Amino acid sequence: MKNEHSQAVDQFSRRKFLRGGLLGTASVLGLAATISEASQDIGKSSGELHHAPEFTGPGASPYWNAVGPIVSEPQKAPLILLTDRPIQLETPRHYFLQPFTPNEAFYVRWHLETLPNAVNLQEWRLTVNGNVDKPLTLSFPDLLTRFKPVSIAAVNQCSGNSRSQVQPRVPGGQWGNGAMGNALWSGVKLRDILDAANVKPGSLQVQFEGLDRGKGPLGLGSERFMKSLDLKDPILDESILAYSMNNDPLPMLNGFPLRLIVPGRFATYWVKALTSIRVLDRPDDNFWMKTAYRIPDTPGGSTTPGEFKTGKVQTVPISRIPVRSFLIAPDGSSKIPAGLPIELRGIAFSGYGGIKRVEVSHDGGSSWQEARLGENLGRYSFRTWSLNWTPKEPDKYRISVRATDEKGNTQPDTPVWNPGGYMWNTIEHQEIVVGRAS
Amino acid sequence: MQKPTASRGKLLLAFALLSTAIAASAVYAQFQAGSYSSANPGGIAQVELANTSTDSTYGIGSYPLYRANLAPGDGLQDVQVYCSICHSTGYITMQPPLPADTWNAELTKMEKTFGAPIPDDASQRILHYLQSHYTTETRKP
Repeated sequence: MKNEHSQAVDQFSRRKFLRGGLLGTASVLGLAATISEASQDIGKSSGELHHAPEFTGPGASPYWNAVGPIVSEPQKAPLILLTDRPIQLETPRHYFLQPFTPNEAFYVRWHLETLPNAVNLQEWRLTVNGNVDKPLTLSFPDLLTRFKPVSIAAVNQCSGNSRSQVQPRVPGGQWGNGAMGNALWSGVKLRDILDAANVKPGSLQVQFEGLDRGKGPLGLGSERFMKSLDLKDPILDESILAYSMNNDPLPMLNGFPLRLIVPGRFATYWVKALTSIRVLDRPDDNFWMKTAYRIPDTPGGSTTPGEFKTGKVQTVPISRIPVRSFLIAPDGSSKIPAGLPIELRGIAFSGYGGIKRVEVSHDGGSSWQEARLGENLGRYSFRTWSLNWTPKEPDKYRISVRATDEKGNTQPDTPVWNPGGYMWNTIEHQEIVVGRAS
Repeated sequence: MQKPTASRGKLLLAFALLSTAIAASAVYAQFQAGSYSSANPGGIAQVELANTSTDSTYGIGSYPLYRANLAPGDGLQDVQVYCSICHSTGYITMQPPLPADTWNAELTKMEKTFGAPIPDDASQRILHYLQSHYTTETRKP
């Protein structure tokens, strides 16, 4: 039996097909109609591929990933293009079946268009100055040899990951869920560098800047990208300056030769192509701290368009990644025969520490079943999870997944909204269609 | 159709400046940045050892530029000239349909916060273009 939804899908793909740009003449159209009808018969029983539209909205995007062409960028596997200058690329869903995201598939997000194409390590230096007793100028070999190497597995998630889910939609990079990745980062401790420079008493913040520049007027946010952390923030003891990513050099697009790693914090702080560290005796008032990347000072960073318009909503710089989890496979693109044992697989993570529990619901959230957790690779890493499932009856199932971290934080079932489209961590749902086996 | 020659001259000048800006990437002592070259989506880049020297320079060539599929209409040329100074126009086509006043706020942000040097008449044409093609009411699939 054909239900209303599949009829709608069939008609949609037929229309798309008939509208295809290659079909120029009446005779071709006639042939196309025949092919289209034949493919409809096949399409009914499996996830028929259709090209995603060029944009989504004004409703929430119905897709897991961003819509956009697949492109090849230097050192990268084919990824989903959001923008080409400056470059923003999203990681396709299937890469998250593994706990570490390969370097060539790791998402990319730059703010300014004059980003590095080449770095000469003979000339390249990391400078540490500002409110310090001993300003430093460190070469790449200095970092490799003068400081103790350390490694940490940590999730890097864009502040605007999943922005295409928020309602009402907000302007900005229209990310699906793939503006995140997990890697083993190796380098030197930020604290060791700060100690070597000897931070002066009375210092407030430490500011980071990379090699990227924009075409805007000097000093504005369109010319320079800088981020700062409070010197009293305990995350400074866990932060590292990474020269290696998954035991390889960083790809140019992910910040070669050196990147700041701030475990558990949103990626806006993970300054790429890092070249300058400044210790400040005043709060950083540059655009990227004072104006951008701020969230309402409310639980979960959420507010409403109406409240925000009153101008009374206080904001704070975005900081920790709230707990999240995803079902990666199956992805809903194919039907599953009733009675076939399958494995639901996914990932979970939290900026507040390790994942304590992942639960799965097959009935849209009425009842929950605990999933098996994969290997613990560190409290800031992706944690894989899996759960065996044998759907007994043909039906449409709404699979939901929610994680709880070691601090007891769990995902909300209510949507998140703020004008930046940040902090989305609502429970994810995936429709899975189970068909008859005979 | 009328063609205001004065503003056309300005547009041509801005075009010239822009193409210089994109073609000439910045070369600093320690690095080279901002080099892009046009490309078509869909091709898979093959791995080549572009630089077999064992020197200290680590480079990956230019970044590909893809042509954004902007709606035809009045103001398109202004969008291509002025918006493209800092970013590709794919930033526009990527957006969901947005309310007309949101486009106004975006343009104001580009001018006031980010210092985009857009003359008043061009600014008005850009706003009219965005509102004519990229709002909930006007965006075409």
